[in-house]
Amino acid sequence: MSGLTFRLTSAPSERLDLSHLTPHKVASMPLAELLKLNVGSTKNGLKIGDIFAVSGQPGDSVRIEGSTSRFDFIGTDLKHGSMIVEGDVGVGAGRSMRGGRLEIRGDAGTLLGSGLSGGEILLKGSAGSQVGGLTPGDRFGMTGGLIAIEGDAGDRVGERIRRGTIYIRGKCGDYAGARMVGGTIWTELGFGAEPGMLMRRGTLIAPSVARMLPTFADAGRHDLVILRILSRYMASALGALAPRALPGTVRKYAGDLATIGKGEILLTAP
Amino acid sequence: MKVNGIEIDDTFAEAFGMAGTGVVITADTMKWARIAATTMAGFGTSVIGAGAEVGIDRELSPAETPDGRPGVRVLLFGFSPDAAAAQLKTRVGQCVLTSPGSACYAGVESEKRIGLGQGPRFFGDGFQTAKRLGNRRFWRVPVMDGEFVIEETTGVVTEAVGGGNLLILGNDRAGLLETTEAAVEAIGTVPDVITPFPGGIVRSGSKVGSKYKGAIASTNDAFCPTLRGRVKSEVGPDTIAVLEIVIDGLTSDSVAQAMKVGLKTVLDQGAAKGVTRVTAGNYGGKLGQYHYKLRELLP
Repeated sequence: MSGLTFRLTSAPSERLDLSHLTPHKVASMPLAELLKLNVGSTKNGLKIGDIFAVSGQPGDSVRIEGSTSRFDFIGTDLKHGSMIVEGDVGVGAGRSMRGGRLEIRGDAGTLLGSGLSGGEILLKGSAGSQVGGLTPGDRFGMTGGLIAIEGDAGDRVGERIRRGTIYIRGKCGDYAGARMVGGTIWTELGFGAEPGMLMRRGTLIAPSVARMLPTFADAGRHDLVILRILSRYMASALGALAPRALPGTVRKYAGDLATIGKGEILLTAP
Repeated sequence: MKVNGIEIDDTFAEAFGMAGTGVVITADTMKWARIAATTMAGFGTSVIGAGAEVGIDRELSPAETPDGRPGVRVLLFGFSPDAAAAQLKTRVGQCVLTSPGSACYAGVESEKRIGLGQGPRFFGDGFQTAKRLGNRRFWRVPVMDGEFVIEETTGVVTEAVGGGNLLILGNDRAGLLETTEAAVEAIGTVPDVITPFPGGIVRSGSKVGSKYKGAIASTNDAFCPTLRGRVKSEVGPDTIAVLEIVIDGLTSDSVAQAMKVGLKTVLDQGAAKGVTRVTAGNYGGKLGQYHYKLRELLP
């Protein structure tokens, strides 16, 4: 697999917009032009060549080494191929991604996978708030794809998502799945307060909820075939990183009954 | 020519292009997956009289199914993708949706898709929900024992073949049936094929047309042993019964392989059980696109 590597040579003095560093975009321009690309966020005009040493051949992958939380919008509009980021990332990593695979070996800022419609984001560390969420002007948050987070996630995960799966191996913050229209959010260590506020459809899975909204109705314990399919899907998509298969029986809470109530919170604890 | 004392006619089976699709039915136990599959395949013998030819391809271990439960793969063949889709909808709706603990998934992978859960989902009366995982979409329909999960679409292939066949003649009806049963069992090991008739065997082979108005097919008098002497018979004095195996497959190669396996079984076991001859049904080669010459299928 060929590709370019961007190695940080000097710490940037400002936040960077690295939305252009996807495999298909960097492969479409000559190296000289690429090095002159403005990635700064101020009037200083910071260029790729000022802060990165670039090596390798353009291809279907991009590697960014020395990434920090000031590197924003990495993997924006990624359609195919893969990106590996060594270090933390800032705001909006994987924004509007449509395919391919973005692997971040560090923590992520807010809005990880915002507007994602396809592909996979693998985060080794923890994520900030609004994972898979939406920004002003968006009708929905994530509409497809998979986000897997090895650490914890902040508040408002999966706000107004419509499709796709968010998996969090650690804890999930408050207000997960608010205004959700579909999709799945699965945390291994539990949701914070009031998940699923005003959700219409979709599935929230956790061993526990810190504070359940009163507009969710206890529907009892059930053995759901769809959870077997979900476990198998995660195993095939994530391989060794996949979570343990869900238990046979879960307790279902139907809601949010303040809306059409076709969503569900599934508690996996016995 | 003769092989192992059994005469093999120098002829061919004539088969037709069909649309082929399939589903994987799972349940809590293999017993119930089998019941749902058998019910769905019922009255699925001939596309002319039953609207579709339906049968069980094979049983699947939990590791092979989308939900990790035991399953059965059912194949369905029709004149066209639309005709197959209509049959699929009614059969799944009546026979799989209703079966305890069942779930139903795509059983054929191809670019061309037809609806699978698009009809049965409406049984949910608005309480149904969908879940898309990767590029597959599943419907969850609330039913009295929990949820009926059904995939939105399944694949359909238009290169499928219907009507591969073997005609087996013998002088001992019981021995002939045993031999034909063994051939059907051997064909069952070939992937992507079904033998849609009862137990995989037809005793009422047909010819095109009839003396009666409105009947598009009638008994194949040339192969009826009791009519020998009255019609231009194909059966000799040593024949008292003829059984036919009809084979449908998702590909021409799979039908050829199934015929080969069936023929080998008949030749290996048949002579001792009264099998005297093997031939194949055709219409002179002018109607069907696929011709399977027996001499090319010999072991």
